[in-house]
Amino acid sequence: MVDTKTWARVKSPWVIHFNSGACNGCDIEIVALFTPKYDVERFGVKLEPSPRHADILLVSGCVTQQCSERLKRVYDQMPEPKFVVAVGACACSGGIFEGNYNVLGGADKVVPVAAYIPGCPPRPEAMIDGLVKLLNTLNPPPKGAKKQIKGASAGVTEEKPVAKE
Amino acid sequence: MIDYFILIFRILIFPGFTFILALTLFCDWIERKIEARIQNRVGPLVAGPGGILQPLADFIKLLTKEDIEPTSVKRFVFKFSPLAAFAMMIFAFCFIPIDGASVLSTTGFTGDLLIILTFATIANFILFLAGWASNNPYGIIGSTRVLTQFLGYDIPLYILALSPAFLAGTLSIFGIVQSQTLPYFLLVPWAFVLFIIVMQAELEKDPFDVPHSESEVVGGLETEYTGAKLAFIHLTRDVQVVFGAALVVTLFLGGPNGPVFFGLPTFWHALWFTLKVILVVIISEYLTTIFARLRIDQVLNLNWKIMLPGAILSLLATLAVINWVIPLVM
Repeated sequence: MVDTKTWARVKSPWVIHFNSGACNGCDIEIVALFTPKYDVERFGVKLEPSPRHADILLVSGCVTQQCSERLKRVYDQMPEPKFVVAVGACACSGGIFEGNYNVLGGADKVVPVAAYIPGCPPRPEAMIDGLVKLLNTLNPPPKGAKKQIKGASAGVTEEKPVAKE
Repeated sequence: MIDYFILIFRILIFPGFTFILALTLFCDWIERKIEARIQNRVGPLVAGPGGILQPLADFIKLLTKEDIEPTSVKRFVFKFSPLAAFAMMIFAFCFIPIDGASVLSTTGFTGDLLIILTFATIANFILFLAGWASNNPYGIIGSTRVLTQFLGYDIPLYILALSPAFLAGTLSIFGIVQSQTLPYFLLVPWAFVLFIIVMQAELEKDPFDVPHSESEVVGGLETEYTGAKLAFIHLTRDVQVVFGAALVVTLFLGGPNGPVFFGLPTFWHALWFTLKVILVVIISEYLTTIFARLRIDQVLNLNWKIMLPGAILSLLATLAVINWVIPLVM
């Protein structure tokens, strides 16, 4: 039995989307999350306009030098507890722009990232999977053997819970 | 002694605070479901059966989030205005007869219709102050739009609310409910339709969604708000929606009276009231979903050029019904 606070946080993740120099591929796939076919409002996900209201920051794009300050500022404006999800190959590691002179390469160079969703662009299913895995890390681990979810293979390779300050 | 217990029970549990809160969260869920279904989506699904606990989860989550207070805000107003607006709306709700009598069954007096309309106006004004005190460009634009819109639409709202009062011959809400053996929306359908449209503008729902249009002014007046304050601003908006529906039900749909009645009167009154409120919320949400947003100048044109003359004409037509049609039938 999880406590009420954790239950509410898991059931109501509000996201804000930040484009740090993406080609719009990932952004369109993020918008597709809210369309009838994928409809993440099932899980209580709402796309919020202001960083003050959001719990999860979806970062797309290789973080350019100019964008990095803005990304940091948007992250700082969000209230705790907050999580960052890097969407797409660029946000995970810089993608094809890695090593470019004007690019930092990866959201984790600027803000702590909780989940990486690779793909160019990642499918909406992969994003939902990553989101659900991120939210499951909020729950305390269940007693007894760890239950393996069948078919939850796509997309997410790695997820690190944010270190608590 | 037992009277005090009954009074406290009525204020805190039924039909007071807890009942209003539960009805509000339930109506919020219904709104989200209807919007989703009209857009061919599913809507909230995983929080509770059918996602029915989704508004509660949102509320609790916002309460437990960090409360950021930017340095440039007007601190006192910023802190207390969300709570004050919420308290105002709940207080206005206490005058509406939910189970045959209002929450404080002794508070009804002649003229309480004007009192609750004034409370709703003051709640809107406090929300304006909330946006103004947040000292954010988007918040200030949003809150000035709130002020522009509700100052304009309050006039036709008051005029239209007079129609049932004239029909009943009293300004007391209880009197208006008592005299509706035939619901007034059958007697004066034009006033009913205009009242629903004006209510839509008062509640800042979608054809009149200018004060917090996300694509222009981010979150409007709630842009800077986080945590518990944001939770109470959201809750105030939801209570406003239910309050608007309750006002329509009380003035035009016969309030807690219903066609089927036997046994315990309190239960049937509350049941009919709730069903009617849900019906009005569904109509309002349907309008919200099928319409696109107007611009602020279009909203004001609609207000001063169509709604205000329409409200006055509707009042004249109501007077004609009272003076010539009803004596003919009776």
